[in-house]
Amino acid sequence: MESLDAFRARARAWLAEAEPPEVPLDLDSRFTVLRRWQKTLFEAGWVGIAWSREAGGQGLTHSHQLVFVEELVRARAPQPIGLIGLEVVGPSIDRYGSDRQRTELLPRLLAGDDIWCQGFSEPEAGSDLASLRTRAVADGDDLVVSGQKIWTSWAHVAQWCALLVRTDPSVRKQAGISYLLVDMSSPGVTARPIRQMTGDGEFCEVFLDQVRVPRRNLLGAENEGWAIATHTLGSERAGATLRRRVELEVAVDDAISELRGRPETPRVRAALGRCHVAMRVLDAQTRRTTARLVAGTGPTPLDSVDKLVLNDVEQTVLAEIAGLLGPLRAVLGSHPHGLRSQRWVHEHLYSRAASIYGGSAQIQRTIVAERLLGLPRG
Amino acid sequence: MADDEYGAAVDEYLTRAYDGDRLRELLDAGAWHPELAAELAGLGWYSLAVPEDRGGLGAPLSALGAVFVQFGRHLVVGPQLENVLVPALLADERVAAVVETGVPVAVVDHGVTEEWAEDLGSVTLTSGRLSGTVHAVRFARQASLLVVIAGAAVCLVDPAAPGVRIDELDSADPGTEFARVVLDEVPADPIPDDDLVARLRSWAMLLLACELSGLAHRSLEHTVEHIGRREQFGRPVGSFQALQHIAADMHMRWTGLHNLCLATLADADEASVSELAIMAATAKAHAAEVAVSVCEDAIQLHGGMGFTTESVVSRHYTRALALRAWYGDQTELRRRIGASLLHETDPRRTT
Ligand SMILES: Cc1cc2nc3c(=O)[nH]c(=O)nc-3n(C[C@H](O)[C@H](O)[C@H](O)COP(=O)(O)OP(=O)(O)OC[C@H]3O[C@@H](n4cnc5c(N)ncnc54)[C@H](O)[C@@H]3O)c2cc1C
Repeated sequence: MESLDAFRARARAWLAEAEPPEVPLDLDSRFTVLRRWQKTLFEAGWVGIAWSREAGGQGLTHSHQLVFVEELVRARAPQPIGLIGLEVVGPSIDRYGSDRQRTELLPRLLAGDDIWCQGFSEPEAGSDLASLRTRAVADGDDLVVSGQKIWTSWAHVAQWCALLVRTDPSVRKQAGISYLLVDMSSPGVTARPIRQMTGDGEFCEVFLDQVRVPRRNLLGAENEGWAIATHTLGSERAGATLRRRVELEVAVDDAISELRGRPETPRVRAALGRCHVAMRVLDAQTRRTTARLVAGTGPTPLDSVDKLVLNDVEQTVLAEIAGLLGPLRAVLGSHPHGLRSQRWVHEHLYSRAASIYGGSAQIQRTIVAERLLGLPRG
Repeated sequence: MADDEYGAAVDEYLTRAYDGDRLRELLDAGAWHPELAAELAGLGWYSLAVPEDRGGLGAPLSALGAVFVQFGRHLVVGPQLENVLVPALLADERVAAVVETGVPVAVVDHGVTEEWAEDLGSVTLTSGRLSGTVHAVRFARQASLLVVIAGAAVCLVDPAAPGVRIDELDSADPGTEFARVVLDEVPADPIPDDDLVARLRSWAMLLLACELSGLAHRSLEHTVEHIGRREQFGRPVGSFQALQHIAADMHMRWTGLHNLCLATLADADEASVSELAIMAATAKAHAAEVAVSVCEDAIQLHGGMGFTTESVVSRHYTRALALRAWYGDQTELRRRIGASLLHETDPRRTT
C-alpha cells in the first residue's frame, strides 16, 4: 500500500495543478460548481479513499483519507458537494448494504452523480429520534411511506434519501424502526428549503405522501434500522471531527494573515492567543480520535467527549475572530482590523449549529455523565 | 522506563505514603517539611531527569510531565518544581547536592510574569555584581542555593553571602513558602548558556501545566465520587441532570487539558527553544483557565462541605489559584502567544 508520505506528496502535487473552483455565494451556483468539483476529484481518484475498490473507492485507509482532507483544505480547495453521502450515509450502505445496493448506489454516490440526504429528524422527533412517527406500511413488494421529516440538509437537490421509518408501532420504540433508501423523484416526495440563520437555504422540510418504496430498498432487515442509524450517526461524528479540525486550522491561519500588518491591539493579540490555545487542544484531542478511527474501534462514549471538545473549540475560535469585527460586523463588505467581515460573520453563525446537530451538547453530556463517569441515571 | 511508568510509580507511592491524614497534617503545618523533601530525595525523584553522567536516571525532561501530574493529583507540597527541574537543567556541583538532600534550590526570577513586573521587582547584573529585589521567591528562606536570573544571565548565589538578604513572607498557597530576596552588589559569575533562562521558564510553565492538570483531575474524581454517593430528595444528587452536565463538562475540560499536556510533552524534547516557549505557554494558558474552573465546579458540587478546609477540593482550589499566574495566566499568555503569531518571533524575547 502507498505510504502516507508518498500519498501526501502525490495529493499536494495534484492539488497544485488542479485549479480548484472559487465557491460562489449564491447557493444554486454553489451547488453546480461543487458537484462538478466532486466529479473532478472522483475521476482523479481522490473520493472514497478509504472505501473498498468494489464500491468504487481506492481501498486505502482512514489515515490516507485524513491526509487528503488536510491537503485539500490547506490548498484552500472546497469539499466535494456530496458530504452527506460520503461521510454520513455511504459508510452504512457499504457496511450493511446488499451486493446489489452497494454496486448500484455507491459508485454513483462517490462520483457525485447521486446526491444523498439524511432523513432522520422529524418535527416531533429531534433529540428523541427513536420516537419518530413517519410510517411505512407493507403493500405487496412495496412499503408505502407517509410522514414528515425536517432539517434534512440538501433534500431539495438530492436524488436519494436515507430515511428512518416506523414499520412496527406495536413494539418498544427503537425496535420498530427500519432504514429505507428512497429515490427522491418518487411520486409523493416534496422537499421545501428552510432559510437558515446564515442566510442559506441548505436544509429542508420533506413531506412524504403515500410514497411507494420497493422492499429491496430496505437497508438491512425490516425493523432492524436502529442499529444502522447509530452507525450512520457515528460516521457523521467521526467525519466531522476530523474535517472540522483542519478547516478550523486553516480559518485561524487565514485570520492571522488578514490581521498581519495592521495596528496591533491587546484585544487582537488576546483573541489570536486564545484561538491558538483552542486549536492545540483540538489537535491533541484529535490525535486520539484518529487512532481510534484507524484502529476501527466501534462507537464509545469517548466520541461524545470528542464532540464536546470540538463544539467548544469551534465556537470559541469563531466567536473570538468574529468578536474582532466589533460594530462593523453588521456592515456588509467591511474589513475591520483587515478581517473580511462577510466570511467571519457566516462562519461564526454556522458555528452555533455545531452543538445542535449530530446529537446536541446536552445529549452528549448526559452520555458522558452516565456511561463514562458512571453517575446514576436520572 | 516509559513516561507513564514514572507517573504510575509516583502515584503508587503517594497513594500509600502521602494521601489522607498525612497530607492533612502537612497542610496544616505549612509548605516546608524537611523530612518529606529528604524522603523524596531518597526515592530518587529529584534525580529523574538528571543525565546519567551526572549520576541521575537520565530520563528525558518530558518524562517529568507524568510525575507533575501526580504531584498535582496528590497535592504534594514543597519545592518540587525547583528540586526536580534545576538539577536536570543545570550541571553544577552545588546544584547536585539537592538531589541527595532535598534541601531546596530557589529560583530568583523577576520574570515569572510580565504583567506584574513592577510588583515583582527586578535584578540587574553589572560588572559581575547582582543588585535588585524580587518580592516573591518560592522557598528562598529554606534554600541552600539561589539561582538568580538577571536578563539572559543565570548566576548561582550562596544565600549566606554578604549582600544577600532574605525576608520571610506569609503564604496563601498551601504548597509554597515565599520570601523576598534583596541583592546588594553581590559578586556573581554568570553560567555560560544562552538558552538557559528560556529553557528554565518554558519547562517550569509546562510542568506547572501538568501539575494543574493533576489538580483538576483529582477535583473531578472527588466530585464524581461525592455526587454519586450524597443523597438529597431521596436519591443521589448525581442523578440530577443539572449536576450530571456540570460533571460531564468538567470531564470534557480536564480531558482537553490532559491531552494537550500529553501532546505537548510528546513534542517537547525535540522542539527548538522558541517553539518550546510557545508550546509551553499554550499549555500553561489552558491549564490556568481549566484547573481553576474545574476546581470551582468541584466546590459547588460538594455544597457546604466544599467550602470547608476539611475538604480536599478546597485545598486543590487554593493551590490552583496560586499556581494560575505563576509563569503566566491565560490573559497574559494569550496576548504573548497572539503577538508571536502576528510577528513570528520568539515570544519570550522580552524579559
Ligand atoms: C445545520 C443543521 C443541519 C441538520 N441536518 C440534518 C440532516 O441532514 N438530517 C437530519 O435528520 N437532521 C438534521 N439536523 C437536525 C438535528 O439532528 C436536530 O436539530 C437535533 O437532533 C436536535 O433536535 P431538535 O432540533 O428537535 O431539538 P430538541 O430535541 O427539541 O432540543 C431542544 C433543546 O432541548 C435539549 N434537550 C433535548 N432532549 C434533552 C434531554 N433528554 N436532556 C437534556 N436536554 C435535552 C436539546 O439539547 C436542545 O437544547 C440538522 C440540524 C442543523 C442545526
